[in-house]
Amino acid sequence: MSLKHVWIVFKKEVKDISRDRRTLLTNLLIPIILMPLLFTFLGGSMKKMEKDITENITVALTRESDTEEIRNLLENEVFKNYPNIKLNGSVDNPAEAIQNDKFRFVIDVEKDFSSRLEQGIPYTITIHYDQSDTKSSGSFGILAEAIRSYSQKTVKNRLIEMNIDPQILEPVTIQQVNAAKDNASGNFMIMMMLPMMASILIAVGGIPAATDLVAGEKERGTFEPLLTTQAGRMSVLFGKYLTVTLFSFVSVIAQLIGVVIGGMINPTFFTMVEGGSGELSFSIPTGALLLSILTIITLGMVFSAVQLAISTYARSFKEAQTYLSFLIFAAMIPSYATMMMQPDDLQLYMFIVPLLNAIASLKMILGSVINYTYLGIGLGTSLIYVILSLMFAAWMFNKEKYLFRN
Amino acid sequence: MLEIIELTKKFGEVKAVNGISFQVNEGEIFGLLGENGAGKTTTLRMLATMLQPTSGTAILGGYDLIREPEKVRSRIGILFGGESGLYDRLTAAENIAYFGRLNNMDEGKLKERIRELAKVFDMEEYIDRRAGKFSKGMKQKVAFARSIVHNPDIMLFDEPTSGLDVSAIRNVHEFILDCKAQGKTIVLSSHTMSEVEKLCDRIGIIHKGNLVAQGTIAELLEQHSCGSMEEVFVKLVGEKL
Repeated sequence: MSLKHVWIVFKKEVKDISRDRRTLLTNLLIPIILMPLLFTFLGGSMKKMEKDITENITVALTRESDTEEIRNLLENEVFKNYPNIKLNGSVDNPAEAIQNDKFRFVIDVEKDFSSRLEQGIPYTITIHYDQSDTKSSGSFGILAEAIRSYSQKTVKNRLIEMNIDPQILEPVTIQQVNAAKDNASGNFMIMMMLPMMASILIAVGGIPAATDLVAGEKERGTFEPLLTTQAGRMSVLFGKYLTVTLFSFVSVIAQLIGVVIGGMINPTFFTMVEGGSGELSFSIPTGALLLSILTIITLGMVFSAVQLAISTYARSFKEAQTYLSFLIFAAMIPSYATMMMQPDDLQLYMFIVPLLNAIASLKMILGSVINYTYLGIGLGTSLIYVILSLMFAAWMFNKEKYLFRN
Repeated sequence: MLEIIELTKKFGEVKAVNGISFQVNEGEIFGLLGENGAGKTTTLRMLATMLQPTSGTAILGGYDLIREPEKVRSRIGILFGGESGLYDRLTAAENIAYFGRLNNMDEGKLKERIRELAKVFDMEEYIDRRAGKFSKGMKQKVAFARSIVHNPDIMLFDEPTSGLDVSAIRNVHEFILDCKAQGKTIVLSSHTMSEVEKLCDRIGIIHKGNLVAQGTIAELLEQHSCGSMEEVFVKLVGEKL
């Protein structure tokens, strides 16, 4: 292998691909524009939904419950401290009214509730709502809380009348303290999304270049003249390999720039989690950060080699595109499978399995639960996979039956 | 000069080329005539160092095909197939320069050579334009220039006119004859009788991997007592079917 020839091939391929508007558009421009748009619309619609769930709780009574007494109970007692719950009208058919979005809830109160109340016998309030509807399910907690709080207040009054301290009902109180490191709970969303996005993007990023550089050359008829130049076959392969690796990282960096811009437009997107502090907060030791970044880089190198091997096997551009699309699924499965996994759940085997090791390393540093042994194993195994994948690509590139399948 | 010695290529159990031997002298065009699948492309791919022979060897420009494939590559130029494959996003000059650099030409000489080739092939007007929008004829000229940018002694043409129209075929024929005039050693594979008759000094008829006959046209006609090359071909290939 001649480094001079590797460099000539690399320079030519970079120049060639850089002039391809389609590749530049899909690899660079679209991610930079798409991510902020996604953040804006997704974040905006999530906020709107959240507002609607908490502020616009429409309630109706069943026709049978629509009496002065029940209305008075709900308006002046149960929902008194809940201005966001609006009691309006009554309906004959609760299911129909809810499905037609006229009301989010329909309430039915036992007619003899006041006599039962006086006698100390429990009465029932029935809530009709659509459990499959996000807004209904989301608001249900608020409505139930209003009724529970009224119930507790009634019990309290009864105990006071009986000269009993209401505290008797609460022998233990619960106090919550967030013990997550450095506000890590605020990083929940980014911990969930970044490893998944990074691994999928790395798997996808080099595909256009890999398809073009071998299968594309075969189809164009430039491959045979190239193989008869004085550049050895390995020089040609490595020049192309470096190009695919470069473009795979360019694509990831473009996506991350998009994420950063999106994060600046909608800063709360990554922290939309109950109990989170609402702020992103990281304190990642430099060594751990470096190990993790190197693992991600080596993952990109593995994918590039595999992509080139697949492109070498393919008879045509279209065949290469079909085979390479399977690679995206291969990356998606472990990415989605571990999406909800927290840093504490990470196990040693995850730092050994290809792709999982990069996801696990990223999750570990974002969660600030650093284990250098695990991170080192992740990088070490990744380096082994780089060597193995390159050997595989070189083997494919030297195999006449694959190289000249067409 | 080019000498092929007992060259054999097996794909699994199939012998695509079976121990063929022939010589081509400087300034001579040797035509490999055969039907599709006869073994012409496999032979030329072995000579171009793309395929590794199963046995036998060839000496190209004094270098052994098996032992010194890189040196062999420095002496050969190829034009495979009729369609001229170029990098559409590179200019004509960049297309040619890429192959010059990969053939270890230094930048000064390369620039000079590209200028010279642009003049020879009348490409000066579009030498710095991207190849994507070139006509077929323009692309063909760039492909010719690319194949000889490093001034090879030996030219390998594998069915260079397949799928081309009349004027494009004429251009290829002129290019081959120019190469011959420059003293290059040429191997041309074809299944077109008239092409081989028009261009080649000597002909080898290849059938199912075997070189069943070789010689000048006159020699072959005399040996087989035929009035035309077509008769010779049918007699030899038909007998073996």
